[in-house]
Amino acid sequence: MNGAVAKPWAVVKRTVAYKEILKALWKANPISKQILGICSALAVTVQMQTAIVMGLALTLVVACSNLIVSLLRASIPRNIRIIVQVAVIATLVIIADELLKAFMYDVSKQLSVFVGLIITNCIVLGRTEAYAMNNPPARAFLDGLANGLGYASVLVGVAFLRELLGSGRVLGYPVIPEALYQAGYVNNGLLVLAPGAFIMIGLFVWLEHTLLERK
Amino acid sequence: MSGNLKSLLFALALCIVCSLLLTAASSGLRPWQERNVLIDRHRNVLRAAGLLSVERDYSAADIERLYRERIRELQVDPVGRILERADSPKDAAGLPIYLSVAGEEILGYIVPIDARGLWGPIHAYLALERDGATVKGFAVYQHSETPGLGGEIEKRWFRDNWVGKKIVTREGQFVSVGIAKGRAEEAVSKEKQANYVDGISGATLTGKYLAAGIKDTLRRYEPVAVKFRKNLLTELGLPSPATLN
Repeated sequence: MNGAVAKPWAVVKRTVAYKEILKALWKANPISKQILGICSALAVTVQMQTAIVMGLALTLVVACSNLIVSLLRASIPRNIRIIVQVAVIATLVIIADELLKAFMYDVSKQLSVFVGLIITNCIVLGRTEAYAMNNPPARAFLDGLANGLGYASVLVGVAFLRELLGSGRVLGYPVIPEALYQAGYVNNGLLVLAPGAFIMIGLFVWLEHTLLERK
Repeated sequence: MSGNLKSLLFALALCIVCSLLLTAASSGLRPWQERNVLIDRHRNVLRAAGLLSVERDYSAADIERLYRERIRELQVDPVGRILERADSPKDAAGLPIYLSVAGEEILGYIVPIDARGLWGPIHAYLALERDGATVKGFAVYQHSETPGLGGEIEKRWFRDNWVGKKIVTREGQFVSVGIAKGRAEEAVSKEKQANYVDGISGATLTGKYLAAGIKDTLRRYEPVAVKFRKNLLTELGLPSPATLN
């Protein structure tokens, strides 16, 4: 009778929003399941700092562009809808880039072209076209947030392992004890290079697919 | 027709809104961005002059304080005389030059390098010792080369590569510093090794253009360098270091 009160989690689990978020974060993760946005994932995951900033920038862009496109969805003429979506996305990306240049200059220098390339990231246009065009604003915003975080989580995971194994640091702080280096431990230089990122992302894809199949 | 008209009007309205937003963002944030760019330049002047330790991070305030204490901005005319103190390094009449100082003593000087790159201009600073011949350091602060290839010019290994190189031959002839194809030890003969730094594999053209840009710049600054070499700083309009020692 009062199952709704006794098991609030079960109720949450039944909502559309929950299902959508779970889908974006895990079951259809943009990177490790849909293999989207790989180019930037390879480039910005040498260090955690750049990966986190890139993840946040993309999350903001997807969430806001989903929101805006969803608000406008009734009035967007069908024949120019992709152009409208790209214009909205491009505007948001440029604003994000300007903000980074103003307040996080060092990170913005390291991210260089990759912030601008969020415009061409298939995740963003994919979400606005597939989701925001057909769903109400609040849900579209959540979907953008979840997809952005799904992207960011893989980015940060890859960056964590690359930074730890490749340069012995976490978020820029050395974590491998000096004694270990003296005992003959060496950082794995391959992980700092792009092929290292490929291998890492491949492992993530493998992990996710195996775990999903087992269910 | 009315459908097309609606599309056109919608696109027009969208363009206006987007361009207003972008203009607002760009002009509203410009003061912060320009300050960041300036601090980044100062950081690289200090880095080229070897005044920054690689061990620690410097905040914007640290950089500004160090720059005020250790760097003097000047302009010289083409024959190597100091014009009056320059407020803007962009003044067309003179060549900008930065002195690296410790108290009143002059440790060396730094020249801005504007070279062509493969994809766009490369901006850097090259610092020279007080002897006017030995490179103290090199730091790139702006470029659009390919990350991992030409982009390596901003990396520490490439910067460190320049320290101690000579812009003159053993006989004192000006030659600038070249960028070898591959490792300088293997690529050039022994007597020329002081005039070459290690190149970047996969970025031959970046190296070629950068070396040419540096040579052009240093040639223009040669009258200044000669005065440093002969220790004639009074002729430059500066107190001679000999009198200070």
